[in-house]
Amino acid sequence: MWLELLLCFIATAAFGIIFNVPLRLVWIGGLIGIIAWFVYAYMPTLQVSPVFSAAIAAFTAAFFGHLLARRLRVPVTTFAIPGIIPLVPGGRAYNTMLSFVEEDYLGGLELGAETLLQAGAIAAGLVFALSLFSMRKGVAERYETKRS
Amino acid sequence: MGRAEQAVEVCLMAGEQMIKYGAETYRVEDTMRRMAEASGMKHVHSFVTTTGIFLSVQTKDEVDVMQMTRVNERYQDLRKVTEVNQVSREYVFGELDLEDVKKRLQEISKAPMSYPMWLIVLASGTGGAAFSYLIGQSVIDMGPAFLGGIVTMLSLVIFQRHIGGKFFSEFLAAFFGGVTALVLVQLGFGSNIDQVIIGTMIPLVPGIPLTNSVRDLMSGDLVAGVSRGAEAAITSLSIAGGVALALSIFLT
Repeated sequence: MWLELLLCFIATAAFGIIFNVPLRLVWIGGLIGIIAWFVYAYMPTLQVSPVFSAAIAAFTAAFFGHLLARRLRVPVTTFAIPGIIPLVPGGRAYNTMLSFVEEDYLGGLELGAETLLQAGAIAAGLVFALSLFSMRKGVAERYETKRS
Repeated sequence: MGRAEQAVEVCLMAGEQMIKYGAETYRVEDTMRRMAEASGMKHVHSFVTTTGIFLSVQTKDEVDVMQMTRVNERYQDLRKVTEVNQVSREYVFGELDLEDVKKRLQEISKAPMSYPMWLIVLASGTGGAAFSYLIGQSVIDMGPAFLGGIVTMLSLVIFQRHIGGKFFSEFLAAFFGGVTALVLVQLGFGSNIDQVIIGTMIPLVPGIPLTNSVRDLMSGDLVAGVSRGAEAAITSLSIAGGVALALSIFLT
C-alpha cells in the first residue's frame, strides 16, 4: 500500500511537470493526488460502488485544491488538474476501445457507458467542490431572488 | 494611442495569455474586468471564448472602446497562467502601473517553458510507469510503460513541430506509443499488454481541456465550455484511433 501511495505521488507530480506547474507547487499537487487515490482505492472496501467513490475522490481532490489555491493565491487549476489524474478511467477507456476493435460492439457500448459514468462522476465531484467555494456568488441561477 | 486604448490593449494581452496557456474562462473574464475597472473604466464587458476574446469598455470621457483578439494556439503551461494571474493581482492592488504590466506580460510571453523538454519527456515516462502500476499492481510492466511513455511524448513533440495539426499529431503519437508497447511486450518485457498500453497512453490524456470544460459549463460560460469539451472529445478519439490502429495491425 505504501508503494502504491508513493507511486501515486510520483505519477501526480510527473503530471504536474507535463502541465508545466511551477516547481514550488508540484509537490502539493502530488499530495492532493495521494489523498484522491486513497479515497478512490479504499472506498470500494466499504461496499461503495466505484463510480460513487470516483465522485467522492474527485470532490476531495478539488476541495483541498480550492482550499490551498485560496491560501497560496494561485489559480485552482494548478492543483485540481494533476490531482484528478489518478482517477482517470484509463483502464475502462482502453477496454472500450479494445472491444470495438475486436468487433464486440455490445460489450464496447457497455464498457463505454461505464467509462462515461466514471468521467461524469469525476466532473460531478469537481462541480460540487466548486459550488461549495463559490457559494453566495450566484453562478447561473434560475430566479432573480436578489430582487425584492 | 490614448491611455484608454492602451489600458484595453494590456487587458486583452493578459486575457490572451491566460486563455492560450490553459486558464478557465471565468478566470480570464474576471481578470480582464478587474484590470479594466482598476484603470478607471466603466461599463466593462468581457466575453471570452476558447478561440477569441472581446472586451468593451467606456472611458472616463464617455467614449466607448471595443477591441478583440483572436487566440489561434493553445498550449499547456500552467506556470504562465499563475504568473499572469499574479501580475494582474498586483496591478489591481495598485502596485504596478500600466507600463510595468505591459513589460511584465511581454516578458512572460517571451519566456521559455519552465521545464526543459527532456524533463517533460522523462516525466511522461515516469507518469506512465507509475500509472500502469496503479492500474495493474505489477512491477514488471513498469519498464515497458516507461519506455512507451517516453516514445509517446517524444513523437508528439516531433510531429507537432514538423507536421502541425494538433489532432493528427496526437493520433500519430498514440500509434507510435502503442507500437512501442506492443513490440516490447512481444519481445518478452512486461507481462500484461493492457497495462503497458494504458500507461503508455496516459500522458496524452487531455486533462486541461477536460477539466476546464466542466468548469466553464458549470459557471455558465456555455460557448467556451462546449468548445473545450469538443476539443477534449476529439483528442480522446484521436488517441483511441491511434491505439486501435496499432492493435489491429498486431492482432492480425
